[in-house]
Order: sequence, then C-alpha cells, then structure tokens
Amino acid sequence: MITLDSETFAYDDGVPLLAGLALTVRPGEYVVIAGASGSGKTTLARLLAGMTGADAGSVFRGSIALDGETIRFTGTPTDPRIDPAAWSSRVAYVAQGAWGQLSMMSATVGEEIAFGPSNRGVPPERLRRLVAEVAAALKLTPLLDRDPRRLSGGQLQRTIIAAAVVQRPRILVLDEPFQGLDDDAVQDVAAALEALRRDGTAVVVCEPMLPLSAPSGARVVALADGRPVFDGALDEGLRAGLRRYGIGAAGDPPRVDPGIAADRDRRSPVPGPAHEPHREPAREPDREFDPPLVILRDVTFRYPAAGEPRPQTGLTGVNLSVSAGEIVAVRGPNGSGKSTLLQHLDGLYRADSGSVTVGGILIRRQPTGALATTVGYLFQDTDQQLFERTVLREVSYGPLATGSRRADGARRAAEALDRVGLGALQNAHPYELSFVQRRLVALASLMATGPVVWALDEPTAGLDEPTRSMLATLLTRHAAGGGAVVLATHDAAFADAVAHRSIWLEDGRIRGTSTAS
Amino acid sequence: MPRRRIYNPLTELLAAVLLVVLVLVVNRWEFSLAVLVFGVLPAVLLSGRARQIGLAIVLVAGPLLLSSLLLHGLFFPEGSTVLVDLGIARVTAEGLTFAAGMGLRMTVFTGVLLTAAMTMDIPELLATMTHRGWNRKLVFIVGSAVGLLPHVALRAQQVTRAQQARGLVVGRAPLSRFRALVAVTTPLVIGLLVDASERNSMLEARGFSSPGARTSYLPDTDTPHQRRARRAMVAVVGVFSAAWLVIAAVA
Ligand SMILES: Nc1ncnc2c1ncn2[C@@H]1O[C@H](COP(=O)(O)OP(=O)(O)OP(=O)(O)O)[C@@H](O)[C@H]1O
Ligand SMILES: [Mg+2]
Repeated sequence: MITLDSETFAYDDGVPLLAGLALTVRPGEYVVIAGASGSGKTTLARLLAGMTGADAGSVFRGSIALDGETIRFTGTPTDPRIDPAAWSSRVAYVAQGAWGQLSMMSATVGEEIAFGPSNRGVPPERLRRLVAEVAAALKLTPLLDRDPRRLSGGQLQRTIIAAAVVQRPRILVLDEPFQGLDDDAVQDVAAALEALRRDGTAVVVCEPMLPLSAPSGARVVALADGRPVFDGALDEGLRAGLRRYGIGAAGDPPRVDPGIAADRDRRSPVPGPAHEPHREPAREPDREFDPPLVILRDVTFRYPAAGEPRPQTGLTGVNLSVSAGEIVAVRGPNGSGKSTLLQHLDGLYRADSGSVTVGGILIRRQPTGALATTVGYLFQDTDQQLFERTVLREVSYGPLATGSRRADGARRAAEALDRVGLGALQNAHPYELSFVQRRLVALASLMATGPVVWALDEPTAGLDEPTRSMLATLLTRHAAGGGAVVLATHDAAFADAVAHRSIWLEDGRIRGTSTAS
Repeated sequence: MPRRRIYNPLTELLAAVLLVVLVLVVNRWEFSLAVLVFGVLPAVLLSGRARQIGLAIVLVAGPLLLSSLLLHGLFFPEGSTVLVDLGIARVTAEGLTFAAGMGLRMTVFTGVLLTAAMTMDIPELLATMTHRGWNRKLVFIVGSAVGLLPHVALRAQQVTRAQQARGLVVGRAPLSRFRALVAVTTPLVIGLLVDASERNSMLEARGFSSPGARTSYLPDTDTPHQRRARRAMVAVVGVFSAAWLVIAAVA
C-alpha cells in the first residue's frame, strides 16, 4: 500500500502543484490518474516513484508512506533522501518517452527486459523463464533477439512495459503506457497488468483522457491545474462533466473548428494575431489538373541487417498518391511500416526500388535537408526531434536552415508558436516543458518552415482533449489552404473525423483503403 | 557486429588500460609513437568502423593537442631557446618539444581508449564482469561510463536526422560534412548534460545500483585461458613498470 499526502509541490519556477492532494493506493487496486496537459499527472507519478526532484531544485512538502513506513518532506535541504534502488524494488515506474528508458547496455530486447531483475540478482534460470513469460504475454517473443534501438515506436513501448512488468513490483506506476500501441497491444498490456493485480500488485496509470473501459473496480482520480477534481468509479467519471477541466474521453471525435482562428491554449496569456501560413494563397484543390503532392510508386525498402539476425522488411510495393487538400491517415498495427513510410516522404529513408515524388520533386540522391521546405516531418518520438536550448531557437532552426534571414526566421517561428498556442513560451527551455507542450513545439518547428506536405507520425498520441481538437483544426485548415497531410495514427476516432481516406498497412504492404463517409 | 571478436571484452579493455599505463611509465616519445603506429593505427583500420573511430579520435585529441601547443608552446617557463618573442609569450624550442611530446601521449591515450571503447561489446563486458563476481559499484561505474558511448552516438545520429528533416543540407563534400558535424556538437553536448542526470536516475530506478550480487541473462563467454592471460598481463606490466621506475630513479 502506498499513500501520498502532498501539501504542495513546486518545480524551480515556483508554481505550486498538487496542493492538498491525498492518494492511497491499496494492493491490487487499479487507479487511473486523468488530467489535461499541465495538470500534474507526471509530477504525481514521479512522487509515487520516489522521485521528489530535490536535486533538481523542486520543493516537495508532504509525506509518502510505503507499506507502513512514512517518509516526511518539509521542502528543506535536510529532507530525507529516498534510496532509488530500494524504492524501485517495490515501486516500478514506466515514464513517458521510451527512448530515455533504454539502458543502452543491452544488445537485444531479451537482455533489456532482463536488465532490472538481473540487477537484483535473480538467478539466471529463473531470469530466463521470467523474460520468456513476459515476452509471451506481451507478444514480444519474435522480437527477443532484436536490437531494442531499432524497433518501431509501439514495439519499443511494449519492451519498456515488459521490463517493468517482469520486476513484479508491489506497485506499478505507468505514465501513459498505452500511447502508440495498437489495439491488440493495448489488450495484451491490459491483460498483463490484470495478471499482476491478481497477485496483489497495485497499478497506477496516468492518462490524458478518460479511458472508455477499465478493469472492474477501477478508480479514477481526475486532476485539474494540480488539484484533484474527481475521485470515483470510471462510469461516474465519464458522466461527471470533466470536459470543463479539459479532460475528454478517449474515442471521442475531436472538435474541428475550421472557421475561426485556432483554439489557443487556455493558459497562454498572449493571444497572437491570426497569420496565414507562408504558402501560395489559399485555393480550392483542383484534382483534375493539379498533379498530386505525394506520389509513391511501387516503393520497396528493407532495413539493413546491421548485426541483427535478419534484415527487417520496411515496405513492399507501396503505391500512394495524395492530392492538395487531402488528409490521409496511415493505419495498421505496430511494426507495420507506418513510420517507415512517412520517412520516405521527407527523404530520411530512400526507397530501395520504386519512386517517391513530393511537391513535384522526384526524390533521388538530393540531400534530405533540401526537401524540408516541401515536406515537414513530425517524428514519432519528440525527444528525437528537439535539440535546441530555447523554444524560439528550436522553432526558428528550420526557417534559418532553409535560408530565411535572422529576423524573418524569428518572425516565422513566433507566428508558428502562436498558431499552436505557445506564444508565451518562446524563451522556455524545451526540456522544461510538459509532454504536450513539447509535442506542440515539434509541430510548430515544422510549420515554421512552411512546407506544403505535412507528414505527421502519431500526432495525437498523448494529447489532451483541447490540444487534440486544436490539432484537428490545424490539419483541416492546412488542407483547406491547399496543403496535404499524411498522418500515421492509432487514434481511430481522430482519423475518422479528420482524414478523407485511410490506408491500412500490414507487414509493409498496403492491405486496404477506406474512405471517410 | 562490425568485426569478429577474438578476445573477451574484459581482456581487450584491460589490454588498453595497461597500454596506457605503459605509455605513462615509459614516458618517451619514441615509445608513444611506436604504440600509435603499431598499435592504435592497425586496430582502428581493422575495426570495421575506422571512419567513426578516426573521427572521434580527431574530435577528442584535436582540441587537447591544440591547447597543449598553445599552453606549452607559448608559455614554457624553462624554455631558453627563444624562437619568437611575442612580449607576454615566447615560443621556445623546449616548449614546442614538450608540447609535441605531451600531444603525442594524449593522442595515444585517446586513441587506445576510444578504439577499445568504441569496438566494445558492452553487454558482453557487463556479463563477463558479472560472471566473474566483480564488485557491484565497479560494474555500475564501468557500465554507465561505457554505456554512455552508444548513447552519445545514438543521440548524435538523432540530432542530425532532426536537423536534416528541418533543412540542414549535408552534401557529400568533406567541408559540408564537417559543417554538419559542427552543427551537431552544441545541441549534442547540451542534450547530454540534460540527459545525464535523468539517465542516472533511470539506471538507479532499474536497480543498476542495487547492493548484492548481480546475475546475467547472457551466458559466460570468458575462458580460464583468458583469465590466466589477464593475470599474466597485469603481472608483467606491474613488474616492468616498477623496474623501469626504479632504474629511472637510480640513473
Ligand atoms: N531503424 C530500424 N532498423 C531496423 N528495423 C527497423 C528500424 N525501424 C523500424 N524497424 C522495423 O521495421 C518494421 C516497420 O517499423 P515502423 O517503425 O515503420 O512501424 P510502425 O508501423 O510505425 O509501428 P508503430 O505503430 O509501432 O509505430 C518493424 O518490424 C520494425 O521493427
Ligand atoms: Mg511508428
């Protein structure tokens, strides 16, 4: 049993969070912490995981009690330190962002899963059995010999979850674990969590939106602006009108708002003027005469084996054409080749055979950077995309690299930030932002270069309801202004509401196409 | 894997460390040069990733060399043969010789250690240390230190990809490649500084710093033969170094 009693918590910016929050999680309980961006979910999860952030300048006042042993914090330097090794043997934590959690000391998925238990001295025989069991439960068995750094986003996410589940902790805290998983994987992970609960493990799951279903007896704690606003059963939560706190329900369609200026972040105090993107003036798509903006002809691609047992099939014989004004969703299970396909559009990967044409440019051997003004790519993992030390520098990198003058680049960046509602955060460090804000910085950084084709990899993963609706609006506007959008997604409701067409990939091949009604 | 592995990674790492010790002890430029030409150079060329390792050595040793040259070349107090007098600084022959010797030694160090680390099979190294029952703290320190290298490499690759996706043009010409390299360094260093503490706490949260014995998922690839060879290497280098130092002191 774990009890968190928070009087207040503040990061080094001093804004108080989690004031007067008390949370007790009993053995075998399943608790969903739901809240919009900035509501304090991750802070709460980290506190449960024993990370009070004292070494990073955070101030926590309150107490954490684990199995009857209470540790008090007064927010002063004399506060006790939590021993991470001992704490994590009882409370396992899966943070957001799978890349950062790889040990970098494993050549295979099997070793990566075994890393935790082997550190705690689990005998080799048992270790191998545990890994095999967890891998089977999470459908990772065929991937056990793969290099964890070369997996698809969803495969990696499953690996990280497996590495936590295999530790059989008393308490398992997962920050948005279902992000980027396909429907089957969601079921597998849910089943694995259920198996742990039967053995008495308490499970705490953070979610940006209320899930549509949860295991029986699940409890929902909703947070808004760092305060608890609801605590009860899921079906009550779904009827409790939490939308006013920006907490939507997963599976709801986004609210598209193509007419008026984009929804701005509620917390952003500086509303910027509405700017049109830097492109040729808006026009009606004319499919009879305009050539498509994206044409893939019989594209086949294989990842080099590079030390792995066999080369991975990326794409096989893919044909696709996307016209100006069109939004196309690329769907399919984890590892089916969605990200691989998107990275062919901006030249990060080059087809082994077949051809790719974007915005009238046939991609041959020209440098990837030369395509950035035509195609913007939103990486599946934001951590792979951001590299600058302030938000403004990050977003103006694109315009400057593609030849804008300094002042012009800064202006474009500021405009793009305004359009995603982050105008007030220009000088923040990208690392200090919340997950959703970082995602929006990444989006703004591709918008600032003004490409006509947007290739977005899982753009809605981890977004809260207001941001997801804002994104829907941005995409719809971009298409209406003569652009094209290709997005990889597992968010069926979003794809159905926003995309004109979905293509379904399986094992690198297009298995089917469906058109929105 | 880029090359066929003959020795256990622990043996390789130990050999590299002992080589560095020898260079330090012997302290003659002829010896440093010999190690560089007959040890480091073939090892880099045969590594299967000569380009990356060469680049890494240049990136690390280059600035060291330059600073040594500036520092000792210009400000060598014992220097008497003045070549150029710049007022506050004097370029002396002794200073330059000293700087060259220092530079050579630093190049050998970085060359030996980087080559060893960059061709290291880290999982196998950890497994061997674990099977040999090494001290936990040491496994942690060595593991997180060498684990940093693939992390840096991966991060550098990600930053370059992100920059290219946003318009950084990297052509085929060496100058263009060099500019791309410069573009990647600042974000890389800053990112790594930010990551470092996160990474450490992540490793701790996965129990890497736990007390008690560790176990290994990988089988033991070490052989009694290599274990004996390692002991012999340490003994020989130890005895040789002691003898050399005594002789040097007496003479
Ligand atoms: N860098 C890489 N090296 C080798 N194989 C890779 C690499 N990246 C992906 N793969 C493999 O290629 C296949 C397609 O991966 P891709 O990332 O395109 O899948 P995806 O459809 O985007 O999946 P997800 O929904 O999990 O993001 C998978 O089998 C994956 O393991
Ligand atoms: Mg993907």
